[in-house]
Amino acid sequence: MASKFVYVTYIRTTPEKLWQALTRPEFTKQYWFGVSLDSTWKKGAPWQMVFEDGSVSDDGEIVESKPPTRLVLKWHHRLFPEMQAEGWSRCTFDITNENGIARLSVVHEIDRNNSKMIEGVSGGWPRILSSLKSFLESGEALELERWRKIPKAKASTKVA
Amino acid sequence: MSSRFVYVTYIRTTPEKVWEALTKPEFTQRYFFGVTMDTDWKVGSPWRMLHSDGKTTDAGEVLEAKPHERLVLKWRNEFPDLKPEGYTRCTFALSKEGDLTKLEVVHEAEMDNSKTITAVSGGWPRILSNLKTFLETGEVLTFPGK
Repeated sequence: MASKFVYVTYIRTTPEKLWQALTRPEFTKQYWFGVSLDSTWKKGAPWQMVFEDGSVSDDGEIVESKPPTRLVLKWHHRLFPEMQAEGWSRCTFDITNENGIARLSVVHEIDRNNSKMIEGVSGGWPRILSSLKSFLESGEALELERWRKIPKAKASTKVA
Repeated sequence: MSSRFVYVTYIRTTPEKVWEALTKPEFTQRYFFGVTMDTDWKVGSPWRMLHSDGKTTDAGEVLEAKPHERLVLKWRNEFPDLKPEGYTRCTFALSKEGDLTKLEVVHEAEMDNSKTITAVSGGWPRILSNLKTFLETGEVLTFPGK
């Protein structure tokens, strides 16, 4: 009994560059709608998805962190009420190298059927990952229109 | 009751260019591992996936073809272990978003746990990643063994 989103993409880059692009604000801000993923990326550490206006849309905990091949996040959405109500989901990034091409697999899942959370991220991930691929391959992220109006968030409390 | 694979990608090009890349041999041969989609693209016409070694691996019929917007194929894999599963349905939907094209591929079968759908689920991300790289950079990715 579960809902699962799976996405595999192949990118002309190295696992190391891909890991950096996924985790460092100077990169995520360019292709991920101005987002910073705020974390030390150590196992057990917290993480937050922070937008340019300071609002936090999602947060959680680092379950596994093995640069540059595997990152597993406990993930909680905080803005859309029906998604927030579903609680914790799990997002796994697996990165491998195939003859100079980086293979990125993203699996985002939750322990309930017909999840609104997974439905929501199923729309977002292809946009973010397409923009990431363009950014790494051609130096330019995609100009994606903001596809959904995000409800106004509470101000971010900086995680210690 | 069904099996379904869905893949959405956003490509920095026009729907017209994506359509050409999906349908013309001079493009499919580059990013789709030497394949020619052998058909006249008219509704009701047969199509087959013709490889550079002359083999046909998949075949079927064109169900819908609206240039630059929508292509629907009746699709069966011709290998002995998958052919008995019969026909699947593959839909390519193209839409414009700013200077991007959203390409959504839905490949589905009426049976549960379709081995055909499992097989194409491994192939599509490679082909569609290669299509995007080709249209955005002019070069294809070099996959091992291809």
